Amino acid sequence: MKRFSKLIVLVFVMALIAAACGSSSDDTTTTTAASGTDETTTTTAATSSTEAATTTVAASDFTGLMVEAACDDETNKSEINYIKAVDAYTVEIQLCQVDVAFPSKVAFSAFGIVPQEYMDANSGGGALVDAPIGTGPYMLQQWDKGNQIVMEINPNYWGTPAETDTLVFKWSSEAAQRFLELQAGTVDGIDNPGRDDFATILDSADLLLEERAGTNIFYLGLNRDKEPFGDEKVRQAMAMALDRPRIVDNFYPPGSIVAGQFLPPPIFGYTPQPTWYEQDIDAAKALLAEAGYPDGFDVTLNYRDVVRSYLPSPSTVGQDIQAQLAEIGVNVTIEVMESGAFLDASDAGDLTMYMLGWGADYPDATNFLDFHFGKNASDQFGAGFEDIWALLDEAASTPDPAARLVIYEAATQLVKDHVPMVPIAHGGSGVGYLADVTNAQASPLGNEYFAVMDPGGRDTFVWMQNAEPIGLYCADETDGESLRACEQITESLLAYEVGGTDVVPSLAETYEPNADGTLWTFHLRQGVTFHDGSTFDANDVVSSYDAQWDLNSPNHTGRDGNFTYWDADFGFKNNAG
Amino acid sequence: MGRFLLRRFVSSIPVIIGILALVFALARMIPGDPCRAALGERATDEICDAYNERYGLNEPILVQFGIYITDVATGDLGESFRFGVPVTDLLIQRLPTTIELAAAALFIAIIVGVPLGIISAYRHNSKTDVATMIGANIGVAMPVFWLGLMLQYIFAVFLRDTPLALPPSGKLDAGLIPIPFYEAWGLPQNGFMEFLSEFTLMNSLVTLQWEIFQSAFLHLILPAVALATIPMAIIARMTRSSLLDVLGLDYVRTARAKGLRERSVILKHALRNAMLPVVTIIGLSFGLLLGGAILTETIFNLAGVGKTLFDAITSRDYTVVQGFTLVVAISFVIVNLIVDLLYTYLDPRVRVS
Repeated sequence: MKRFSKLIVLVFVMALIAAACGSSSDDTTTTTAASGTDETTTTTAATSSTEAATTTVAASDFTGLMVEAACDDETNKSEINYIKAVDAYTVEIQLCQVDVAFPSKVAFSAFGIVPQEYMDANSGGGALVDAPIGTGPYMLQQWDKGNQIVMEINPNYWGTPAETDTLVFKWSSEAAQRFLELQAGTVDGIDNPGRDDFATILDSADLLLEERAGTNIFYLGLNRDKEPFGDEKVRQAMAMALDRPRIVDNFYPPGSIVAGQFLPPPIFGYTPQPTWYEQDIDAAKALLAEAGYPDGFDVTLNYRDVVRSYLPSPSTVGQDIQAQLAEIGVNVTIEVMESGAFLDASDAGDLTMYMLGWGADYPDATNFLDFHFGKNASDQFGAGFEDIWALLDEAASTPDPAARLVIYEAATQLVKDHVPMVPIAHGGSGVGYLADVTNAQASPLGNEYFAVMDPGGRDTFVWMQNAEPIGLYCADETDGESLRACEQITESLLAYEVGGTDVVPSLAETYEPNADGTLWTFHLRQGVTFHDGSTFDANDVVSSYDAQWDLNSPNHTGRDGNFTYWDADFGFKNNAG
Repeated sequence: MGRFLLRRFVSSIPVIIGILALVFALARMIPGDPCRAALGERATDEICDAYNERYGLNEPILVQFGIYITDVATGDLGESFRFGVPVTDLLIQRLPTTIELAAAALFIAIIVGVPLGIISAYRHNSKTDVATMIGANIGVAMPVFWLGLMLQYIFAVFLRDTPLALPPSGKLDAGLIPIPFYEAWGLPQNGFMEFLSEFTLMNSLVTLQWEIFQSAFLHLILPAVALATIPMAIIARMTRSSLLDVLGLDYVRTARAKGLRERSVILKHALRNAMLPVVTIIGLSFGLLLGGAILTETIFNLAGVGKTLFDAITSRDYTVVQGFTLVVAISFVIVNLIVDLLYTYLDPRVRVS
């Protein structure tokens, strides 16, 4: 027995040694990797300075930065002409052309402001990926890669202090796992409960469900360059043939709604009227007969078998559309395509009828309507509609929001008349909380703001989302999981209202455009300090923006240096360099 | 002994290269474009070209493989496409979690499996034997993901707010931040120190961080039990059948004829000889546990080798898939070697030559 126990011990010791030696290849590199492993568990060097909290920059001491580029496609693909620190607390941004959605873009969390001194000293934001510095209500305390992100309250926050001293981000890709954590009470809130768990949450007195309205659209695209969709009557018949509520009821999670038009309700530009056609099989058949297709026709339906929030189950939805169209004599053949090939083919206008969707980059109609139906849209619906172009151009050069809404209402009516597509659903989702969490919200943009939530008096708020953030310098990130974490730490000039999409002041207290909407002036908040104690001023704004804008800037560095959102929303300068 | 080790080492090189080639090819057979998997489908062609250039993905496959082999030979496993950090850094962070989990699971499997096997063999064909073996068969057949979810539900939700409640997932309670031993003791920080400090149980034990130790221990129980089930059942069955074989041998009958107590006959005389195949199984189980914890780690949300590998596959992070698979494979080879060496201890007739 003695020898046996010795043997057991020996097996263990040797197995452990073996496993450690098993990583012999990394043993040999531990020395070289040592510097890199600073990232294993990163603690910010950020210190709080109570003195700095009220420091402002004397105007006489201030030398404002200015960065500019000629409005020229060769070297400046962007819509920006210059960014200028007029004084310590005023920033001017001159655009090359009018952009009515400019404030909506500026409010996005990818355009957070970071300290100029830090950026200059570190040649850009590479180090911010693991150790972000911002002005937000929380500061990074520790990022234990793979396990959790711990944030502590910012004691010098310019606004209302956060409700809890500590905010923890955890993650699990499994909906069942997240829900179990919530049921166990080990987390205070979870993102995206599984479809089947919505009812359980609603039935439980201990849990709370917030439905998240979708800022996306799923539609059935109809290419007017391909027969038989060259005839508007045929397209209108398709619109009347579909029972869209049936699709949403059967295949979409709670929180989803039937699309009444292309724009989702939370997006600026949405108007309650006009609403889409109701299902009317007889009218659809009559329209087909008028168009010369009394017995219907054969058509191919293309899609990619990729799950998106706007299309949670592509195959079943495809089959349902096939079955529904059969009722008016349209014989649908389903053809599933590889994702990349499908997107390329739809963009090129090669597909006759297809299922596709779109999610908001920023909450403004231009991101939806102009992108799909504007002059510069792809050929996905065939030749464009000039009457729609004219209205969208007019809306895009009308700074007054109320006037824009009137124009978008008319444009939406034209989309309904022409039927380049059939809008079907705005895919929703939800957020689950413990019932004692106050100010619980589900943001349509996925940027829940935890500083205002109180988890029943506990001093730590624990949030569990789908995945680990990839990096916390969100200028260079695109995934929602990273952006949500950044939202708690860094702030942009403007922000979206908590739980909504309206643009509200943040680091800029006020802002205004000039008469033609090409020059935007931002008046900055005074007395704001970064987490590292440095004072926030206009040069931080210029520096933060220039690091993203200028491909040749030494500060144009991040996790991978792509700055995808800047490129998409504003465009780069020095693109030829 | 030295020559034996050298020979085994040299003979394992082709195996390792074969594994490298296979993993390299398999990683690239995963459908999808790594650029768009990493940067999203709206990444432009220009951005993807730069991405492919940066990670050498625009080179011919054979050239990529040549570069990779050369890098691996110098200890460079490459940089993760997704995280932009060296794969070795990820291994330093993730391997200790898996080793800790695998060791705990193996510990449970042995301390439960071996005695169960002995009892079963001793009470051969009794009700106890039948019940134990039915239990073992269920253990082998039970899917880990189902068992994991059940354990989580019972101990985290059903027994919530009772003394038996256990945390459902993760490594530590939210917000707990362990202090690495090198920091606590003022030692220099390097990769090896960080690797050691990632053994949370050990790190918290030696630095007397009891709250962390308790939390880590409680978090380890459910995944270790879930992971232990299959090897435990296999060990129990193997111990039983092996012991039954030995108990039928002449020397055991002689021992009994001499009037030795049954306990002495089984534990001192029969068990040692019966352990040879069991040790093989234990060794192989440990290798399997190191690489096979993908499901357990995913269900219990433990950022170990398995879960990282799973995430890397879904995000086409080739370098991580290759690096982690290589390390698991090497671990397997080494564990096999150790098992061979153990034979010489258990059975002096076996010589390493």
